[in-house]
Amino acid sequence: MAKFPADVVFVIGALVLAVLGLLFGGWLIVDPPILLSRDILAMNPRVFPTLVLFFILLVALIFLATESRKGSLAGNILKESSPQSPLALYRQFGFVGLTVGCALLLTTLGFLATMFLLMAGTSLLVGNRSSLQIFAISLVTPLSFYMIVTYMLRTQLPEADIVERTLAMIINALNT
Amino acid sequence: MFDMLMLGLNDALRLDTFIWIGGGLLLGMLVGALPGFTTSMGMSVLVPISFLVGDPLIGIPFLIGVYKGGIYGGSVPAILISMPGTGASIATVLDGYALTKKGQSRKALEMSLFSSGLSDFFSDIFTLVMIIPVATVVLGFGPPEIAAVMFLSLVIIAVTSAGPAVKGLIMLGLGIWVGFVGADPFSAMARYTFGTTELYDGFHLIPILIGLFALPEIFNAVKEGDTRGKRISTFVGERLRLQELKSSFRTILRSTMIGTGIGIVPGLGQPIAAMMGYIAAKNASKYPEKFGKGELDGVAAAESANNAVNGPTMVPLLTLGIPGDSVTALLLGAFMMQGLRPGPTLLESSGNVVFAILIAMIFANVLFVIIGYLAIPLFARVVTIKKSLLIPVTIMLAFAGTYLARSNPFDIITLISFGLIGIAARAAKFDVAPMVMGFILGRELEYAFGQTLALAGDNWIHFAFGERLGMTAILLATPLVGAILGFRMNRFRKRSLDSDRK
Repeated sequence: MAKFPADVVFVIGALVLAVLGLLFGGWLIVDPPILLSRDILAMNPRVFPTLVLFFILLVALIFLATESRKGSLAGNILKESSPQSPLALYRQFGFVGLTVGCALLLTTLGFLATMFLLMAGTSLLVGNRSSLQIFAISLVTPLSFYMIVTYMLRTQLPEADIVERTLAMIINALNT
Repeated sequence: MFDMLMLGLNDALRLDTFIWIGGGLLLGMLVGALPGFTTSMGMSVLVPISFLVGDPLIGIPFLIGVYKGGIYGGSVPAILISMPGTGASIATVLDGYALTKKGQSRKALEMSLFSSGLSDFFSDIFTLVMIIPVATVVLGFGPPEIAAVMFLSLVIIAVTSAGPAVKGLIMLGLGIWVGFVGADPFSAMARYTFGTTELYDGFHLIPILIGLFALPEIFNAVKEGDTRGKRISTFVGERLRLQELKSSFRTILRSTMIGTGIGIVPGLGQPIAAMMGYIAAKNASKYPEKFGKGELDGVAAAESANNAVNGPTMVPLLTLGIPGDSVTALLLGAFMMQGLRPGPTLLESSGNVVFAILIAMIFANVLFVIIGYLAIPLFARVVTIKKSLLIPVTIMLAFAGTYLARSNPFDIITLISFGLIGIAARAAKFDVAPMVMGFILGRELEYAFGQTLALAGDNWIHFAFGERLGMTAILLATPLVGAILGFRMNRFRKRSLDSDRK
C-alpha cells in the first residue's frame, strides 16, 4: 500500500484543520454584539484567526507542492530505514493508553493510586522486570512527593478521602 | 534605573536564593548528564516547583540554575560516551570523546566546566550591562512597534528552528491558532471553546510546555526500551593545568563573544553557537588538523560558546517578552506564574526583582564552578543509570507538576492532548519550539495588532510612512531577514554535517 512520509501526513492534518477552521469559523467564533448600531471594537474577533488560518493554508500548500515536485505525493512506497519491531509498537500504544487512562482516572482514584498505576505500568513498558524495584519506585516516590507537596508546600493534590485521612492520622501520630 | 539596580543588588544577596540556585544547578547538571534527558524536559517538569516556592527571587533563580547546569551537564555524556546529553553539546563530542579515548576524560570534563563557567560569567555581565539601554529604547515603543518586533521575532524563530523553514512556519501558525482558544482580548467573546467553560480561559501554558517538551521525550525513551549508558573508562587522567586553561583563554573569549551575539537573537540557540564557536576556533588555530582528534581548545570553544548563550537570551525575554528558545519560553511561563509579565514595562514595574535575578545569575557562576568541580565524579556515574528507573519518576513529575500549577483536572487532559501532538510532530520531524512561541506570543501579537489598527484609523499610508516609520522599517525588513537567516541556516547545517563527517 502506498504510504506518505510522516511529515506530509502531518501537514495534510494541519491543512485539513485550517480548512475546517475557515469553513466553520462562523460557528466556532461568537460574534460580538454591536450596541447602538456602531462597531466600537478595535478588531473583530474573526480577523486575526482568519489571517492565521489562511497563512497555515498557504504554507501547507507550498510544502505539499514542494514535496509533490520531489515525488513524495505520487504514491511512492516509503522505504522505512529501520522498521519498528512489534515490541516497540506495543510499548508505544501501551504508553499512550496508559497515560490517557491515568489522566482520566486521576481525580477518581486519587494521586497515589493513579501514580502507582502510571509508574508501575511505565516501568514495565520501559523494560524493568524487577518487581521489587517497580513496587518500591511506584509506591515510595509518589508518597514522598505527596507528603512534600501537601505538608511542606501546603498545596493540594487530588486524593481519595480515606487516603487523606489515613495519612493525616499517621502524620499527627508521628508529630505527637 | 540605577536605584533599581542597587535595590536588586541588595535583594540578590540572600542565602535562600543561593541555596535554591545551588539545588537548581545540581539538578540541571544531573538532568543534562543523563543521555536522552534534555534541559527543556527537566525544566518543564520543574517549572511548577518554582511556582510552588512562592517567591520569584527563589523560584526564577532556581530555574536559571537548572538551565545553566543543564547546558553544562550535557557535555558529560558527550565527553564520556560520545552521546550529547543536550543538543548544545553536539560540538563537544568531536574533541571531548577523543580525549576520553586517550585516557584524558578528567582533563576534558574540567576544561568543559571552567570554560562554561567563565563564558557564563562574562555573558551574564554583558546581559546586565545591555539590559538597561535596550529597556530604555523599548520603553519608547508603542503597540505598532511592539507588533512589528513580535512579528519579526516569530519569523526568525520559525526560520531558524530545526528543519526546513516551511515546517517551522506551519508549527508557528498552529501555535498562534491554539492561542486563540478562549476569550477574544477585545470583545471577550468565546472563540473555539465549543461551548465549554473549561476552554473559555484558554489553554494554560504549563501543560502545553510539559506536553510538547517532556512527553515526547518520555515516549521516545519508552519506545527504545531500557538502556543503560555504556560502561565508561571511568573518570581518569590528569587534572587540567592552569597553563592549559590560560592557553585556551583566547578561544574562550572568542566563543563567548559568538555565543553572546547569538543569544541576543531569538531562535538561534546553543547548538548553533557551539558549532560556530568550534568552527571559528578551528579556523583560528595554528594546528587545525588537531581538531577532532582530542584538542582541548575544541572542548573549550564548543562549551564556552553554548554556555555564553544562556545570559543574553534574557535580554529579548525581559525587555520585549520574546523568548529566544524553548528554555526561555519555559522561563517566560515561570515569570508569568510569579505575577511578573516580561515586556517593555517590566523593568519599570519590577526592576529590583529583575536586577536581583540578573545579579544572582552572575554570582551563581561561582557556585556553578564549585558544584560542578565537586560533582564531576558523580556525573560520570549518573551517565550509566538505567532509564527504567528514571522515566517513571519523570512521568510522575509531569502529571503532578501539571496539576499543581492550577489544581485543574482539565490541565491533565490538555497535557495528554499536547503530548500526542508533540509525539506526532517529532515523528514527522517538526520542531515544537515555534509552536510554543506562537502560542505565547500569538495573543500578544493580536492585541498589539488590534491596537495598531485602532491607532491607524482610516489613513493607513500616513500612519505607516509618516507617524510610525520604525514599525514600517521593521515590517519591510522582516521578509529579508527571514530569507537571509533561512538561507544561512541551511548553509550552516550543511557545513556542520560536513564537519561531522570529516
